[in-house]
Amino acid sequence: MLEVKDLVTSFGSVIALDGVSFTAQESKITTVIGANGAGKSTLLRTISGLEHPASGSITWSGKSLIGMRAEDIVRDGIAHVPEGHAVISELSVEENISMGSLFRLRKFKADVQAAQDEMFELFPRLKERRKQLAGTLSGGERQMLAISRALVSRPKLLLLDEPSLGLAPLVVEQIIDSINILCRTTGLTVLLVEQNANTALGVADHGVLLALGKVVADRPAAELKADANLRAAYLGY
Amino acid sequence: MDTFLAALFSGSSRGAIYALVALGLVIVWRGAGILNYAQMGQAMFSTYIASTMITNGNSYWLAFVVAILVGAVMGVLLDILVMRPLSNKKKTELLSSESMRAAIPVIASLGILGALQALAGIIWAAEERGFPAPYAQEGFTVANNVMPFTSFDVFVITVVLSTLALTSLFFKKTGVGLAMRATALNSEVARLSGIRTNFTRSLSWAFSGAASSLAGLLITPTSNLSPNTLDLVLIIGFTAAVVGGLDSPAGAVIGGFLVGMVISFVSFYDTPEDVFLAILAVLILVLIIRPRGILGAKDARRV
Repeated sequence: MLEVKDLVTSFGSVIALDGVSFTAQESKITTVIGANGAGKSTLLRTISGLEHPASGSITWSGKSLIGMRAEDIVRDGIAHVPEGHAVISELSVEENISMGSLFRLRKFKADVQAAQDEMFELFPRLKERRKQLAGTLSGGERQMLAISRALVSRPKLLLLDEPSLGLAPLVVEQIIDSINILCRTTGLTVLLVEQNANTALGVADHGVLLALGKVVADRPAAELKADANLRAAYLGY
Repeated sequence: MDTFLAALFSGSSRGAIYALVALGLVIVWRGAGILNYAQMGQAMFSTYIASTMITNGNSYWLAFVVAILVGAVMGVLLDILVMRPLSNKKKTELLSSESMRAAIPVIASLGILGALQALAGIIWAAEERGFPAPYAQEGFTVANNVMPFTSFDVFVITVVLSTLALTSLFFKKTGVGLAMRATALNSEVARLSGIRTNFTRSLSWAFSGAASSLAGLLITPTSNLSPNTLDLVLIIGFTAAVVGGLDSPAGAVIGGFLVGMVISFVSFYDTPEDVFLAILAVLILVLIIRPRGILGAKDARRV
């Protein structure tokens, strides 16, 4: 279980997260929704160790993540796919994927190859393009690659930041479906940040609504989806 | 014809050394975002250590290996003791702006260059001394004609080319090489992939230190050794790096050989006095035609 308590993260005088508390249950999809600037990305970046909080606590399976470096948090089973199809354009598809499991090479050599093959099975288009530079891929393929890079580290918790950003609806559906299947079949815990609340709430078990760095609702996804008042007030549709 | 061959040979052996210097600069630039002006100061220092070892009766080869290792260690120390603390201090007032944060390590490297040169002057006295070559520096004799090519030139080119080949293999084929490239290209994604970027960055400094020490060992037999001799090599190596594309290791190598050839042909066919004018002309020409250098990064094509 991921437990976030009274989390405060600020950039200079700008407070991005203002006392955020919520929990994400194991083997479930929890989605964090909210408008632009609500602090969704900062929340993920603080959990994965890219930003350091001013106060508050983050615990994963009982272990505190505060003060840990991003490169060590991945090794504890938390993989983060940051916003904007974060792949390295100058490296090949294959290199981008194997990058995510370099730290496992020594201990789990056999599984590293297996994990890579699973990704090619999950996203066959990446297999066709394995030798191509990541910079030549389409937006959707890049997002698949970014997710693959995260998944080969064999995470228990996947932090996904706006996977739908800038993608065609059909591609979004395909990516969200893959994540959903992965969660249901392997027991992966997913924390999904989305601006596209409808899509996110459709697939998630639980929803957390963020506005200006504060949690304004923390309820089962179906309930959130049905609440017309909340939608109108915070999501604007 | 003889002049042409002489210029060609001397150009390739000089060019090989400039390629090494440029490669050292490029690797730290890519890996840490710092232009390391102290690079040839480190090389000068380790060459002095080799020189002292040889004077004290050690073999050339032992001194050769020790100097390269010293170069690598100095690179790592520079990173850990100076550069890392400087670039990590984000919150001090002085480092609040992005441009200051980028400039300060570079200025620090200039300071370190000065300190190393002063220190070398104190320890070894500031006068020039010779540095031995492991092989003869007289030209080969073919049918009673002295060729413009020496065994030492052959040695320089062989050593540099094999170093370059091994480096390229290392970066392309090993996990650590991939981790170093990933860190250089996008350190945030690298960290999220579990790559310990502090470690890979230090490795870049070690590599650069070793490569420039090798360059120092290879150039001082023809240039002599003093605390300031390698300044010029740094300037030429830097030009080579910019001509090749500051973020491209392959470009650094091409730039190195190109600049070496220009220097050599100008000094054989014209006069050595015009060498710097010629380098400047090449630099300006390349910057006009390809502002990012011959192999500088292009934005990846988006579909």
